[in-house]
Amino acid sequence: MRSGNFKQKYSDLIVLTDSPAVKAWLVVLAVLLVAAPWLLGNYALSHLTIILFTLVGVLGLTILTGFAGLISLGHVGFLLLGGYAYAIAVTRLGLPPEAALLVAAVVPAFFGLIVGVPSLRLHGLYLAITTLAFSYIVSAAILAGGSFTGGGRGILVMRPTLLGFDLSSDAAFYWFCLVMAAIALLFTLNFRRSYAGRALVALRDNDIAARTMGIDLVRYKLLAFLISAALTGVAGAMMGMYLSFISVESFPFLLSIEALAIIIVGGLGSVLGAVFGTIFIVTLPDLFNTLMGLLGEQLQGLMTTSAHEIKALLYGVAIIGFLRFDPRGLLGIWHDIRHAWVYWPLRY
Amino acid sequence: MDYFIELVVSGLVTGAIYGLVAMGFAIIFKATGIINFAQGEVGMFTAYATWSIAGILGTGAIATIVLAIVLGAVLGLVCERLIMRPMLGEPVLSVVLVTVGLAVVLRALVTIIWGAAPHKFEMAGADRLVEVGGTAIRVGQLSVIAFLILALLGFWFFLRRSRFGVAMRAVAADEKVARLMGISSAKVQAFAWASASALAGLAGAMFAVIYGLMPTIFELGLKAFPATVLGGFDSILGSGFSGLIIGVFENLVGGYASSTLKEVAGFLLILVVLMVRPFGLFGEKRIERV
Repeated sequence: MRSGNFKQKYSDLIVLTDSPAVKAWLVVLAVLLVAAPWLLGNYALSHLTIILFTLVGVLGLTILTGFAGLISLGHVGFLLLGGYAYAIAVTRLGLPPEAALLVAAVVPAFFGLIVGVPSLRLHGLYLAITTLAFSYIVSAAILAGGSFTGGGRGILVMRPTLLGFDLSSDAAFYWFCLVMAAIALLFTLNFRRSYAGRALVALRDNDIAARTMGIDLVRYKLLAFLISAALTGVAGAMMGMYLSFISVESFPFLLSIEALAIIIVGGLGSVLGAVFGTIFIVTLPDLFNTLMGLLGEQLQGLMTTSAHEIKALLYGVAIIGFLRFDPRGLLGIWHDIRHAWVYWPLRY
Repeated sequence: MDYFIELVVSGLVTGAIYGLVAMGFAIIFKATGIINFAQGEVGMFTAYATWSIAGILGTGAIATIVLAIVLGAVLGLVCERLIMRPMLGEPVLSVVLVTVGLAVVLRALVTIIWGAAPHKFEMAGADRLVEVGGTAIRVGQLSVIAFLILALLGFWFFLRRSRFGVAMRAVAADEKVARLMGISSAKVQAFAWASASALAGLAGAMFAVIYGLMPTIFELGLKAFPATVLGGFDSILGSGFSGLIIGVFENLVGGYASSTLKEVAGFLLILVVLMVRPFGLFGEKRIERV
């Protein structure tokens, strides 16, 4: 049985996990994830792929909204920029896919800095509106871009060959997404415990107090925007590769809401919560569909005719429900379960 | 010159609708300190509900407008009681995100219940043309401007003179002290939601009468944001007036520059304004202490 929280060194406090059991289970999970293409059917594999590239984008939003406390209602703008930067770099400029992926991180990061500048003067809600405005301006600009951006017609993107690996098969693309998601996850986890990550959390909790402690507000808020936009941009490029087609319509405003729903449902400000939230929200429409199927043919018919609306309805209800009844989100439920498991039959 | 006047007049009409919605934003912000991201959706839902009920009852123009106001207020009260009241005292971030959730739910409900196809909202006499200052203008369009002026005057009087209006300002200035003085902040919040939603309902219904009933009316909320920001979130009258500025500006950009730019003109304007005056044109500067 584990005995309390006796720590001798500072590094013990910020270590990612100190439990051999957690490490062992992580290894099992990693093996299962790598072996997934042989274990799962086509539908389940593509579902898992969606979860993985959504996770990359959600981790981007976690850094901005979860760590730094800056609400963004326009994250779909960064997704769009990333997707289009990748597509334009590959099809119009003829860059190799590796470089294009880098461009998909750099271009949104640059615009993240531009959006970040007002955040230095604007507080909370004003900032949410600025980001909302930003996402509308981005999609308007892309639609007005003529032949360079493809306007309303969009751009066709082929699955690339990255570092010698051909991603055209579903299994190969899944592994690519798995690697990207693992990198993003490790990066975010380590970023949170670095000086910069702790500075962001301090700024979120009380910016004036944090500044008196010597934290540079300008530098770290802009850094949050930069990193968040870059991660989200990469997710946009991955989404474009998955869809093989990039257009303004394939990045609806609902994606911003979906990302927010994910980090709220998972548990705001936590990386593990982001993972739980992503799995839950991405699977929610399918769960609902199955449930409706059990209830009757007619309801399932409604699900197919207005899938987009049902999805929106579910996200909205999930946001309201979790904030209203359990603001800690799925992470809180997970903690309760784990607690009960470890200490049973004692209450604490 | 005729073209210019035409643009200004039709800009004033859309601007008046923005103004009504923007006043709703400011009312809720002043009373509760949050932005209601569902404002446009409340307007759209009310417009659809009014259309359905007015169609069944066959009401006249004035009765339809009263119906829209009443339905809006009822919807606002229901949302406040079921969703916002339990969130009293929670962090601002959570409360705002709840309104975002509400917005998404209302938007989806409209499409599920009434479908995505646009409808014509008939109102007796609203399409009749009258001559004002050399340009022909519909009665419906003219009445929107009148409604905005009435709403501005009504709220000015209400906030200055009535006991409840003063209570509302007290809650906005300092909620704790106001509660110690015996003001129920829950009642103030309920009233704020009812009146803001009534304004949104009126705006949504009038928008539907003038431009047609469609599931994109919720964009009114997005378009009215710049007006509220321009006016300052805590200035109800300033927001209403700024609606007119945004409406005319947007229309002039659309008329002389490009129609894509028109969609984002308001946002571009406020980005500039916010950089210079982060608290809006008529807003109060806040001094923060740790």
